[in-house]
Amino acid sequence: MSDNTAKAREIAKKLLQDGTVAMVLGWEKGSEPYVSAPTVVRDAADVDRLVVDEYCIHDLAALLPDYRDHSDKIAIFAKGCDSRGIVRLIQDRVITRDRLYIIGINCPGMKDPNEFIRAASGLSKAKPADKAAKCLHCQYPNPVIYDEILGEAQKPGADQRLTEVDKIESMSADERYDFFIKEFSRCIRCYACRNACVACNCRTCIFDETKPQWVGRSTDPVNNLLYQIVRAMHVAGRCIECGECERACPVGIPLMLLNRKLIKDVDQLFGPYQAGLSLEDEAIPPLSRYRVDDPDEFM
Amino acid sequence: MKSFLQYLGIEPERYQLAWISGSEGQKFADIMTHVVDEIKKVGPNRKLREEHE
Repeated sequence: MSDNTAKAREIAKKLLQDGTVAMVLGWEKGSEPYVSAPTVVRDAADVDRLVVDEYCIHDLAALLPDYRDHSDKIAIFAKGCDSRGIVRLIQDRVITRDRLYIIGINCPGMKDPNEFIRAASGLSKAKPADKAAKCLHCQYPNPVIYDEILGEAQKPGADQRLTEVDKIESMSADERYDFFIKEFSRCIRCYACRNACVACNCRTCIFDETKPQWVGRSTDPVNNLLYQIVRAMHVAGRCIECGECERACPVGIPLMLLNRKLIKDVDQLFGPYQAGLSLEDEAIPPLSRYRVDDPDEFM
Repeated sequence: MKSFLQYLGIEPERYQLAWISGSEGQKFADIMTHVVDEIKKVGPNRKLREEHE
């Protein structure tokens, strides 16, 4: 991947020097060798901070809403999942395509820095996996939208995204409820899942509102589950399956089980549909679009 | 929504949606009776309730 780092720096330097963009969103080396943290580079002299390696797991597209009120042109590095996030943000009018210079990265799958941190600190005996959990089911390793591209095109693995969902569906209603309540009882309501999410780009989030307060803020299992039900419904049809929510979760709640269920439903009721694949009108999320022949099934 | 609540283990009878116009009094009454009957069949709800002790 060091080859990609060199190319990434070269591209960033050129873009900043000739004034094509005012800033570059990329990754830099963090506190540990296995951490690559999101960073902003505004000066061509600083491009040597940038890296593109196997730990660049953060979805940079989730940072774009912070710049929605700026007018600066932004260069952004985008893996397959990030690029779908960018498409979604453009569709949601958070940012316009002409403000972006997208440097695509054909992504072989990333490693999860959290696993390495846990292993190094002795918190976990498990050996860190070669591929992060969120990358295992990736169907779009290659960017769907870009101005320039790094690396070799990758082949997606077998589509087994819904196996876990099917497993839950085969349980009885009471088993399912008890399973989810148990998982969500761990939630500490840190909202990391929301903050890491590209689909969560509302200016005012209903979970921050206190008048009226839509969902209870205490960390009891029921309010935690209600919070996640509402969040999952809000991103239904807009979730790009980047898996950032689940990765960001400090207590390891299997959040993608909720999102994938809704992806399955939206795909079956309105589909075939997957979010963030293209900028065409037809690719607008079914739940954000008016159609006379709407199947009206979602309620 | 119904399918999603079912997935979380909530009985589908508890969540029903119907489109009733302001002039359809009889339809409203019929549907309400139907909803109550269905819910009586499933019995008291223990799910998604805050515990008050």
